[in-house]
Amino acid sequence: MSFLQIRALRKDYGIVTAVRDVNLTVERGEFMTFLGPSGSGKSTTLYILAGFENPTAGDILLDGESLISTPSHKRNIGMVFQRYTLFPHLSVGENIAFPLKVRRLPKAEIDAKVKKMLKLVRLEGFEDRKPAQMSGGQQQRVALARALAYDPPVLLMDEPLSALDKKLREEIQHEIRRIHQETEVTILYVTHDQEEALRLSDRIAVFSRGVIDQIGTGPELYANPATRFVAEFVGDSDFVDCRILSAQNGRADISIGSSLTIRGVPMHGGGAAGGMAALMLRPERLSLARGSVGEGTANLAATVTDIAFLGSNIHVAAAAETGEALSVRLPFGHEAASSLARGDMVSLGFDPASAHVFSA
Amino acid sequence: MVLLTERDSPPPAARLRLVRPMNFALTVPALLLLVVFFILPVLSLLLRSVMEPEPGLGNYAALLGSTTYLKIFLNTFVVSALVTVVTLAIGFPVAWALAIMPSRLSSIVFAILLLSMWTNLLTRTYAWMVLLQRTGVINKTLMGLGLISEPLPLVNNLTGVTIGMTYIMLPFIILPLYGVIRKIDPAILQAAALCGATRWQALTRVLIPLAAPGMVSGALMVFVMSLGYFVTPALLGGTANMMLAELIAQFVQSLVNWGMGGAAALVLLVVTLTLYAIQLRLFGTARMEGR
Repeated sequence: MSFLQIRALRKDYGIVTAVRDVNLTVERGEFMTFLGPSGSGKSTTLYILAGFENPTAGDILLDGESLISTPSHKRNIGMVFQRYTLFPHLSVGENIAFPLKVRRLPKAEIDAKVKKMLKLVRLEGFEDRKPAQMSGGQQQRVALARALAYDPPVLLMDEPLSALDKKLREEIQHEIRRIHQETEVTILYVTHDQEEALRLSDRIAVFSRGVIDQIGTGPELYANPATRFVAEFVGDSDFVDCRILSAQNGRADISIGSSLTIRGVPMHGGGAAGGMAALMLRPERLSLARGSVGEGTANLAATVTDIAFLGSNIHVAAAAETGEALSVRLPFGHEAASSLARGDMVSLGFDPASAHVFSA
Repeated sequence: MVLLTERDSPPPAARLRLVRPMNFALTVPALLLLVVFFILPVLSLLLRSVMEPEPGLGNYAALLGSTTYLKIFLNTFVVSALVTVVTLAIGFPVAWALAIMPSRLSSIVFAILLLSMWTNLLTRTYAWMVLLQRTGVINKTLMGLGLISEPLPLVNNLTGVTIGMTYIMLPFIILPLYGVIRKIDPAILQAAALCGATRWQALTRVLIPLAAPGMVSGALMVFVMSLGYFVTPALLGGTANMMLAELIAQFVQSLVNWGMGGAAALVLLVVTLTLYAIQLRLFGTARMEGR
């Protein structure tokens, strides 16, 4: 049986449904990320797990036992919050000791554990500082130490790095990965940042409008997005309107504009022949050339609207013949890119098997 | 180790230099008002307390040497302390509720609180007399319900004074406490709960320590105001537990003994200022700042 199971979870606030129908199983020791925009229900799901909210329907099982009727303070779950929630009147050491003190553990045991936790988050020697004397990143590391001090089976993290700047965020992401590997704690992590989700997680659950659109590893979500929403949210993507000519065995033949026909594109969402759909392309998998790209690949004619040099790659913005704005990412030193100018006519080639069609 | 608060705010001397002459000029009317209507009368009282009926400290010796007067001092402190404790005990939950209830509801409660504050003090005190007296609403109701057979002595004693003064002092503790509690991030209490703290532990180990500055300043305000309170103790209290303000009024009005009245008033002033100094020392600087 799975370690943590979320079954048909639903949460209504009056007439607003924050979580519609969330089903999820998490294995012991797994790093699972809830990824989605604000209002998609990911935080609400986490808050129900923490016991701050009661679900309207559904159940949560931890090791086979329902958590729903257990109050927060008896759930033995750890949590790191988005805002700084260290107790401002207590020192760093006292903050980490707090969960152990309320459990009435012997003092020697508490002291040893506090030391061990400070070592885990690499803040030895900071135990007498007050939270206000520490940086945001340090405070979140203390919060992590406090949440792990009582060896919780599950650690919840609600956008813990959103208040930090990019460089610090990446540094602490590494720390979180290391701590996850060292402690083998099961982590449920909420973020709206796809890069953070991809960097940290074993698996990602993509939330949209109160349901999980897709669960999978980062590469799975990227290579095979189940919905247009997942395709848009994980990785960058271009969309081109198209019409389905025929659909069979999860593949579709489509037409773009009046002249272009592309065969055998993987299709999601089951559209019927004659219906409108969207063709999804990844900017870094498009090839760019003046004139035709060649046999075996499909070609889209486009006009270059902007070129931006971003270091390791070059970002080309183009307008398709049919009007859609497309972006193309080329490696630095790409031959065609060096002489490219705004207004140039180019053809963008792609492999139909690596593209996706989402029926409207 | 350098404290953040020390780094962020200039030292006192630098702060004084920031006060420009123009700013000082603006405070002149207020200062004049204080001098004419407060400092001069106090000085004149001080003078009369050592000059009347004859020069010397005779009045102070009489005041502090008599058990009758010392009892009144003691009673004043007991009543003030009791009122402060009861006010805190009632005010804290109210302030907490106000801080977490929806703003529409809290503005109604605030309106009730402020309206009662703005109602005339005498009116409110007489209202309590009506409620608390032997044949008052409270006694009649309790007797009607068969809970008591004899009316409870609720007025003209310590009970009456405590009830009446607690009611009057409540806003003075609820408002500062509300200000402090509202600034506490609810997520901190959620964190405490997930750490395993019961509601009681979260209250005693997190909420109360964080609200302590508000509790201390509110309690001190109530205590000091109670020390000098006159109307409510005079109307709801009995002769057995007279308070200092009543004694001073008696000296001045009935006995026309300005010397003794002045001495008693100055003792009260000194006690009040001492308490204020202690509070400033302990909680005056922004010690609990930084979250």
